[in-house]
Parts: sequence; C-alpha cells; structure tokens
Amino acid sequence: MKRIVAFAFAAAVLAPSTLLAQTELVINSFGGAYEKKHRELVIEPFEKMHNVKVTVVTAYSADMLAQLRAQKDAPKFDVAHFSGGLEATAAADGLLAPIKPEQLSNYADLYPFAVQNLAKGEGPAYSAAVVGILYDSNKLKTPPTSWLDIKKPEFAGHLVLTDISNNWGLLGLLAINKAAGGTLDDIKPGLDAIKSTLKGATIVSKSPEIQQAFAQSDAWIAPYAQDYAFTLTNAGLPVKFVQPKEGAVFSPITINLVKGSKNAELALKFIDFSLRAEAAAGWAESFRYSPVNRKAKLSEAAAAQTLSGDEATKSLISFDAIKIGQMRAKWTEEWNRAIAK
Amino acid sequence: MKRETALLLAPGVLVLTLGFVLPVLRVLTLAFDAKTGFGLDNFARFFADSFYPLVAWRTVRLSLVITLVTALFGAPLALVMARAPRWLRMALIVVVVLPLMTSVVVRTFGWLVILGRGGLLAQTLAYFDLAGRNFSLMHTETGVVLAMVQVLMPFVTLTVLSTLEKIDPRLEEAARVMGANFWTTLRHVVVPLAMPGLVAGSLLVFALSASSFVTPGLIGGVRLPVLGATIYQQVTGTLDWGFAAAQATLLLILALVVALPYAQGARRAGASR
Repeated sequence: MKRIVAFAFAAAVLAPSTLLAQTELVINSFGGAYEKKHRELVIEPFEKMHNVKVTVVTAYSADMLAQLRAQKDAPKFDVAHFSGGLEATAAADGLLAPIKPEQLSNYADLYPFAVQNLAKGEGPAYSAAVVGILYDSNKLKTPPTSWLDIKKPEFAGHLVLTDISNNWGLLGLLAINKAAGGTLDDIKPGLDAIKSTLKGATIVSKSPEIQQAFAQSDAWIAPYAQDYAFTLTNAGLPVKFVQPKEGAVFSPITINLVKGSKNAELALKFIDFSLRAEAAAGWAESFRYSPVNRKAKLSEAAAAQTLSGDEATKSLISFDAIKIGQMRAKWTEEWNRAIAK
Repeated sequence: MKRETALLLAPGVLVLTLGFVLPVLRVLTLAFDAKTGFGLDNFARFFADSFYPLVAWRTVRLSLVITLVTALFGAPLALVMARAPRWLRMALIVVVVLPLMTSVVVRTFGWLVILGRGGLLAQTLAYFDLAGRNFSLMHTETGVVLAMVQVLMPFVTLTVLSTLEKIDPRLEEAARVMGANFWTTLRHVVVPLAMPGLVAGSLLVFALSASSFVTPGLIGGVRLPVLGATIYQQVTGTLDWGFAAAQATLLLILALVVALPYAQGARRAGASR
C-alpha cells in the first residue's frame, strides 16, 4: 500500500513536468516595450499555432551569454536572442547549435546579411539596428554628413556622445575611428577625434539621457541608433537620423538555437516563425528596426526610416564581432583614460 | 561566555560571517589571484599609470568634502531639532529622512531638473545675471557633493541628535548661569559632549560616500569616475573580477587609513576633557 501511495505521489509530481517538458519552450527577450511587442508579433501567435507554452525570461545579451555559459551542461533555454554581436562569442564558445538553410522555410526570402553567419554556427538575424547620427532638424538646416562632423566647432556645446559601456556607444566610437583612419587594432585615431571634442561634449551612458539632452539641454547632434531617433520623434522631438557618408554601422539582432535544447525541433520552428515577413514588418513599423525579410510590406514612413537589405549590404559598415569581444576590455580602459577629467 | 550571551550573539555573528567575513575573504583571494598563482599583478595594474591613483584620489577627496559639508549642515540642524517642540522635531526628522526613502532614480531626476541646463538653478542665476542660462552643475563634482549630502545628511543629524538628547539640560543651564554666552556654552559644553555622535555619524558618511557609485555615476557622469564606479564597471562590464577585487581591497585600505586615525584622535580628544 505504502509503495502504491508513493508511486501515485511520484506520478502526480512528475506528470505535469514531463507533460510541460514536451510543450514548453524557454526563450529570452529584452524586456519593456520591446518584450511586449515581441509577445504580440511572434510569441503569442506561435503559442496559438502550435498549442505550446513559451516561457519568456527577460535577459539582455550579456546576461544571456553568462547564463548560457553557466548552464552549458544542462541548458534551461531553448532559444537565445542576442544583439550587439554576442552570438559570435556564443557560437565560438560552443553554446549554440548550427542551423542549416534547409531547416528554415523562410530562407529564400531573407536578405543575405541575415543569414551570412549560419555557416559559422550563429543563428539568423530577425531584425537589425543601424547606428548613425541623430540630429535636431530644427537647429541644423543641413544634416550632418560625416562621422567626423562631431569635430565641427559649431557643434561644440551641442554634442552628445555615448559611453563605451553602451553597445551603440561602442559601435559609434568604432565608426568614428574608422572614418578617422583607425582600425580595430588601433583605435587611437578615434579616441583622438573624441578627445578633441570633449570640451563641448556631454557623455552619457543610457538612452534616456540622450532624450533628456535633446529635450532640455540643447543637444543638436549625437551618434546613436536609428530606432532611438524614432523613439525621440514619437516623444515629439524634432530629431532625425542620418546615415553618414562613410557608412552607418549595422548591428543585426539574432535568434539562435541553444546547443543541448531538449526541444530543438520546436525551437527551430520558433526560429523560422520569427523570420516571417509579418514579424519583420512589425519590428520596422513599431520600432524602426530594419527588416530581414524581402517580402516584409512596410508603410511609407517605416520604409523611409529603415534600411532595406540591399542598401544594407552595399553601404553599411559591420565590424568583426569576435574581435570586438576580445578587445572590449582593452578599449574600455583606453576610453576611460581618454575621457576622464 | 554565558549561554545567554552566546545565544544573543549567534544570529548577528552568523549573518556577519555569511554576509561579510566570507565575501571579504573571497574578495581578498580574488585580488591576489595572479596568472602565476599568488601575486600582485592586479595591484601593479592599478599603479601602472596615474589613471587609477587619480580616481582613488578623487574618491577620497570627494568623500572628505561630502563628510565635511554633511557635518557642517547636519550637526546644527540636530541642535535645532533637539531644542524644538515635539511636533516640529518629528516634522524635521521626516524631512531629513525622506530622501533616504526615495528611489535613487527619482531623487536623481529631481536634481537633474534643478541642476541641469536650463534648470531651476540656471534660471535663477540667469535672472540675477550671475550665470548664463546654459549653466549646469550636472556632470560636475559640485553636483555630486550636493546630491550626496542630501542623502547622507540623516546619518549625521540623527546620530548627533541622539547624543544631544542624552545631555543633561542642567549642564547647559549651569554654564549659562555662570555667565557663558550661547557660543561659549556651545563650544565648551555641548560640542564636546556631542562629539561621539558627530564622530560616529561622520564616519558613517565617509564610508558610505567612499563606496557609493550610483549617485556619482548619474550626477557626475562617466567623465568623473570614482572607485565604486570603476569597480562596478570591472565586475559587470569587462568581467575582470580580479582587478575589481584589487580595487575593492585598496578602497577598503584607503577608508581605514582615513577613518581609523580620525576615530582614534576623536576618542583621545574626548578622553582628555
């Protein structure tokens, strides 16, 4: 009798979890308004379509990478979203399972940039951020044209730069460095260009400070991401985005299959589902992230404020994400020294 | 030791061991963990050029200024509170403690509105033609000191208040009867008796400001790094925990070097009276 009770008890405890294990997918998203939109565009339709449960854990890319590392032997996640190139580090560390083109039904509709790193074991991009220059269109009659315009004396006192601890700040620095003649092995030209502006520059570390600078502190020009220009426009500020002539920086946001996922098949379906034209269009409409899917139908406004994949591959700069990962600590030290008062 | 004493001590000792002693030991081992086993690599890096020593110097300098200003404002306030009627004292305590209960983000935003470009301070100064409208104390050390003093004030005010309340009012009355005026009474009777509270309070303020990084980061910005901020960056940003631990160790040493002689000196001064 005792044994039967124990068995029944064990069954009662274990049954729901084994049932869940078959139909539950664990993913990360980036919180706030982004996560809300993520649910609406991808997660909830997917749950309905496949009658499964998708558990969302809010974790930014660096945190996500740390969690995947810690759980390497028994991963709790099935799908990992990364921005800022961390998928390259994750793939190099053997934390991701490679995805083959034939596993994605949307493959043929994707721009080349979205799938360029599949062979390296990284997941596809499902949208992309673009880093260029934000400017106040009331104060500047002619938009800035170059990354090095930050050095123009007439912008002194009106320039906002972003700290290297912020990913867009880092990419902006690298673009300025490239325009000034530097390389990923030598960022001194970029740091020198930054140093020459410091007297008339405000350095911030978080996005809301940029909004505050444009709204209250007479900021005219700030290297930052295109989607944030849209946030500022929505907040009623006359801020526009421009792609500098040396090229804006391209930063794909990727979706990856976690190595050792117990639900790899379902996870792959989720990844494929995330690449649909409707999802790509949704990201562009609501946040101005550039679409990855050729068939994405955009409104005129969204099309004007995002980049199409063909433009992207032609005119944009992208930096070696692995190299960035290796150099980040060293660059942070150099940057801190360059800007400290 | 009596059994009761041991029992009463146990929870505190347990918490301190788990929450303080073990982490500190872990930090120390991390700090001395070099590529070749035990070594001073992390410390050598700190002193390799003037950057980190200057950050340390800013940390100590700012903390001393904050402590001084807090004492100068907080102690007289405590004196007023000690003499005030009950309801007024209660109201003042609420006013002094309120900033501690407010979220750091909200508090900082308040300072932003006041200190920022085109803010309340800039407009007032511009009205009297004392400064331009784009005058700003954001991203300055003055701004950091102001914001920190606001938060840390209760530590001085409340500790001084509690010592003042214990002073026998007849001592002051005696001094006044003997012909001492207000200031003489203050200097020879009240301040010496309130000294332990002032010392304890200002030590708290010093320790808290030396280790703070949120307010200095938000008000001072990235161009005025303090040790707390560089440690935070190494821990969460560049993940160099060894170097962060070395900085934390040096911060602890710095705080002790400043605080211990002060506490000793104050105690001796108190005893000689």
